[in-house]
Amino acid sequence: MNLPSTKPRIHLARGLSIGYGESLAGIESDGGDIVLEGGTHYLLARNGRGKTTLLKTLAGVLKPLGGGYECEGRCQYLSEDLTFDRELPAKAIFKALLKKSRYADAIKLANTIELDVEKPYAKLSTGNKRKVALLVAEFSVCDQGLDVLLLDEPFTGLDAFAREAFQERWNQRQDGVLRLVSCHPDLDSMEVNSSVLISDGKITHVAGDGSTQCWGELKTQLN
Amino acid sequence: MIQRKVWIIALFCALVLPIVLPYLTPYESNPSLIEPARAQAAWGCLWVVTIAWLFFQAARFGDDTARSGLGAYFLSSGVSGLSQMMQIWLACLSFLLPLVLVALAVCFIGAMPSDSAQAQMWVATNLQYAALFLLVVTPLMMVAVSVGSRFGSTVGYLIPLCMSIYGMYGVGYLAMMTDAQSNLLLDWLYVVSPHYHLADLTPRLVFKHGSMLGSEFLQLVIYFAGIKIVLAMLSTLTFQPKAAT
Repeated sequence: MNLPSTKPRIHLARGLSIGYGESLAGIESDGGDIVLEGGTHYLLARNGRGKTTLLKTLAGVLKPLGGGYECEGRCQYLSEDLTFDRELPAKAIFKALLKKSRYADAIKLANTIELDVEKPYAKLSTGNKRKVALLVAEFSVCDQGLDVLLLDEPFTGLDAFAREAFQERWNQRQDGVLRLVSCHPDLDSMEVNSSVLISDGKITHVAGDGSTQCWGELKTQLN
Repeated sequence: MIQRKVWIIALFCALVLPIVLPYLTPYESNPSLIEPARAQAAWGCLWVVTIAWLFFQAARFGDDTARSGLGAYFLSSGVSGLSQMMQIWLACLSFLLPLVLVALAVCFIGAMPSDSAQAQMWVATNLQYAALFLLVVTPLMMVAVSVGSRFGSTVGYLIPLCMSIYGMYGVGYLAMMTDAQSNLLLDWLYVVSPHYHLADLTPRLVFKHGSMLGSEFLQLVIYFAGIKIVLAMLSTLTFQPKAAT
């Protein structure tokens, strides 16, 4: 992870190979580099194809097997199984991890998406636990929009209402934050402006040029 | 309401047992023994609470950090593994230090000798004891955190537990063995073993031997600080903020 210059950026260089011991996915040496800049990008692939591995590699938690990458910005990796202390209520978690100036905003959004911030974390449902993690990531970003959020399956367990609330927030906010979100969309009509696909062991970037594709079209490209 | 509040039991052991336990002895035959007995109980309870509870808490915190994904989250945010380990360790100290203060308070308030010269000596001995106690248990707590993060809370607890019991009692048996037979391997083992029993000043308190000489105390501080440095380095190498893949 490098310190940001002006805006967040992810650069996956050709030859990049990720995996545990043996290569799970990569960018071919004769393929093009992938560059992602501020905004929301979806990371789409079938199960076991390397979504989590790619996010962990970008977060600096795993070393790549080969090739190089750059993740410029203040990085945060939210793993799918991220959990907090079972005794603490969400508001205590926010107080511990968020800046004072962002705490009130986090509580406000928590109320909007119907998260009980008084209830101990262990007593929350799976979806509500995910909301806590998402809110922590969302309100940890700095105001200058220099953040890179790597979100691993953040919508697992979330109801459509909460998921749409987050997606709407991401679409509305032109905060320059780079979000790379791995997910399995459940609606064919869901619009995806920029997506990184992992299929047949190859990492490719689709769209990102202003054109929008639907999940229904994208999923036919996955294997 | 007190569910999962083990600290209440720990506080009870550290605060109430030293007051109550001396009265379970035949103290009527010599009431002057009740105060040293109180000091003995205070320090004894502190050792037990630290070894039985705090080491386990430290190991669990290490395990939880790696397993919950929080370690990986902080790592991705730029918080290094060393920084995370130190923060967890300091969090454990926030449990330990009040308990040490409670033991000192019991000794100062509930067992202070009336004679002013003895009282001065009593204060010095207890402060020396507290310093040596902290020098022994704090690095072991760091071991618990780091081993817990890599091998899970059970192993993370058992290793400092065994080290402390061996250093307190096992080394004494080893000394008897080396006295009885000349064996180079045993002699070597005795030298490299952590002599934690040297930090136990309970006999000095009970038998009112007075405080340690400054030079003697300094030697022990240097010895335990050396062990602390070695254990801190090993802990830094062992700590793993992310779950094993």
